[in-house]
Amino acid sequence: MGLGIWGLKRSPWVYHVNVGACNNCDIEVLELLTPRYDVERLGMVLVGSPRHADALLVTGCCTRQAAPRLMEVYTQTPKPCIVFCIGSCACTGGIFRHCYHFARPVDEVIREIDPDAIIAYVPGCPPKPEAMIAGAAAALSTL
Amino acid sequence: MSEIQDVTGEAIESAVLSRVVTALGGMVLEVTEQNPRRGWVRVDPARIREASRIMFAEQKARLATVSGLEVRDGIDMLYHWCLDSEHYIVTLKALAARPAMEIDSVGQDLPAANWIEREMHDLLGAEFRGHPDMRRLILADDWPEGAYPLRRDFHVPRVDPTGKRETNEWAGARDEKKLQQPPASQPKTPKPGRTLINIGPFHPLQEEMEFFQLYCEGETVVDMDVRISYNHRGIEEFSSRLTWDQVPFLVERVCGICSASHPWAYIRAVEEICGIQAPPRAEYLRTIVAELERLHSHMLWIGLAGHFLGYNTVWMWAWKYREPVMDILELTTGSRIHYANNRIGGVRRDIPPDLYPEIRKAVDSLKAPLELITNAFLDDPVLHARLKGVGVLSKEDALRWGATGPTARASGVPIDARRDYPHGAYEEVDWEVITQPEGDVFAKAVVRCLECFESVKIIEQCVDRIPDGPIAVEVNHVPPGEAVGNYEAPRGETFHYVRSDGGAGPVRHKIRAPTYMNLPSFKSSCIGEHISDVTITLASIDPCYSCTERMARLVDAETGKPLGTFDDMVRISQERTRRLRKEV
Repeated sequence: MGLGIWGLKRSPWVYHVNVGACNNCDIEVLELLTPRYDVERLGMVLVGSPRHADALLVTGCCTRQAAPRLMEVYTQTPKPCIVFCIGSCACTGGIFRHCYHFARPVDEVIREIDPDAIIAYVPGCPPKPEAMIAGAAAALSTL
Repeated sequence: MSEIQDVTGEAIESAVLSRVVTALGGMVLEVTEQNPRRGWVRVDPARIREASRIMFAEQKARLATVSGLEVRDGIDMLYHWCLDSEHYIVTLKALAARPAMEIDSVGQDLPAANWIEREMHDLLGAEFRGHPDMRRLILADDWPEGAYPLRRDFHVPRVDPTGKRETNEWAGARDEKKLQQPPASQPKTPKPGRTLINIGPFHPLQEEMEFFQLYCEGETVVDMDVRISYNHRGIEEFSSRLTWDQVPFLVERVCGICSASHPWAYIRAVEEICGIQAPPRAEYLRTIVAELERLHSHMLWIGLAGHFLGYNTVWMWAWKYREPVMDILELTTGSRIHYANNRIGGVRRDIPPDLYPEIRKAVDSLKAPLELITNAFLDDPVLHARLKGVGVLSKEDALRWGATGPTARASGVPIDARRDYPHGAYEEVDWEVITQPEGDVFAKAVVRCLECFESVKIIEQCVDRIPDGPIAVEVNHVPPGEAVGNYEAPRGETFHYVRSDGGAGPVRHKIRAPTYMNLPSFKSSCIGEHISDVTITLASIDPCYSCTERMARLVDAETGKPLGTFDDMVRISQERTRRLRKEV
């Protein structure tokens, strides 16, 4: 285990990226911060810039206008970082995959610029906050 | 008024429709009276500007939206006008004939039509003569010219469950040449002395991607522009490839916080085409879920508004007390957010009577916290100083921009689709439409806080009075026809137009979400404001918008040097606090 990964596993700071979601996953992500779930007690903090982040929480089907911006955000995130695809849309395109403005699934967009990216998937429409916490814990423990 | 005849030769019964037709006079080509609350009037396309002026200025109608529809002879433009106080919706139809498919722009007179005309230009290829600002609005920068997704001949290749498209050879395929060119919707270059401030597309804690550009002189915003498309998925086109019963699942994913409202508006339109009425119990069940949704949405906004202002206590409180609402939604519909509850003809799941006490208990438990939050918000002198007189949207502007929901009601426009277009259980329970005259951010907060209490009242009465009986009627066939349906979502009126050809699904489904009308009204509420007040003004219509200051980057337009350094910010903040202290 490299020093980078060792550091990543402790207190991951997350940045939230919406690339064309219906808002539900986003509400549930915000829900994580509020008193009932309160992930800050587990060391996860939502930050305001990808440059401060250890992990990206990506929600939504990746639209064509958003895809290049998602790559830019990923490039700005210090490595190593984990990309969490939150929700069915981010995992595969979900219900919107047949729409004309859908670009590609989030993992493909990220792998185009970094084939070795660490990507974790939390499916669900939307996944419950508990599922997000479980997904994060599972991903961190497998690193 | 018996001389005015419908297209079938029968006299028009509705006084409202007769009056509108008389006012439009010679431009009317054909009148159809669908039912006592809906009328369709075909007008001379060459005189559509005049017709719109009459509708807005003389008939005092509100332009809900325009839907474009490709037909054999061109593009049919459907201008949906709501006469809210008379509970009537008139649709003016005008044909933009082939081959030019041109029509006069209504947006040059009425800003409410500005965006929708740009959208129809993008999606259908219609041309609008005299439109003041015909830049790309809704399609991506790399979308090829001349590919119009809502035309009949446009086909999207299938996509497999892993997200791979069958083929990359299709009309909407990425245009590599276009990528080399500057973006389709380029910002205007700021005049000397003005600074361009970009907000977005990604923004801390912002839920949706939008790209705002503020043109500032000093700290005053003098102009602004917005580019959308980041969140455009193409739901309208996809909807016309689905069956009637699949569409509600799609439209509840238009916006996660309106996931009871969009299906209801769609279902109202389809039920009108079918000429059926859901059983009374179903209407009550729909009302309960929709009002629970309003409660959770308003509390969410109150919390976020507090957060934008740096008042995080309100955020944590509001979201903590919102949890019982989410629990009840999960208990009654099976999901915290996407309810999948509405269907054509009724609802999918019943609420068993043993859950009534649970609902009552949860709603009861909200009263004290709501009082607490409302008082914390409304009695706080700092918030008064911070919000009163900020981001004022005057009544005239609210009407011109076609604002809806709490945004319009806080500007003294008493519209509410729940009251104006009776449906659900709203006619059978006691509740008030909350309005405030001021139009500032504070008024919008007051409207939302007080509406929470109305929702509590509605839910309590519904639970007490809900009748027994079936929860759905069987619908086997949707006949050919067209209809509109609307519902008052937490953010404002959501408006759906549905057209059927008697087949398995809609041939055209136009969705107009409330923020589509409320967002452009920033142009009148933000201009002239202080940059630091723009944050909350943008947030005040509830697009879930945040922290302008944190992303604001002040750069001198000529030299490119950063202007607002950290020390400057500290100094400005201290001065402002001192000034506010005096005012408070």
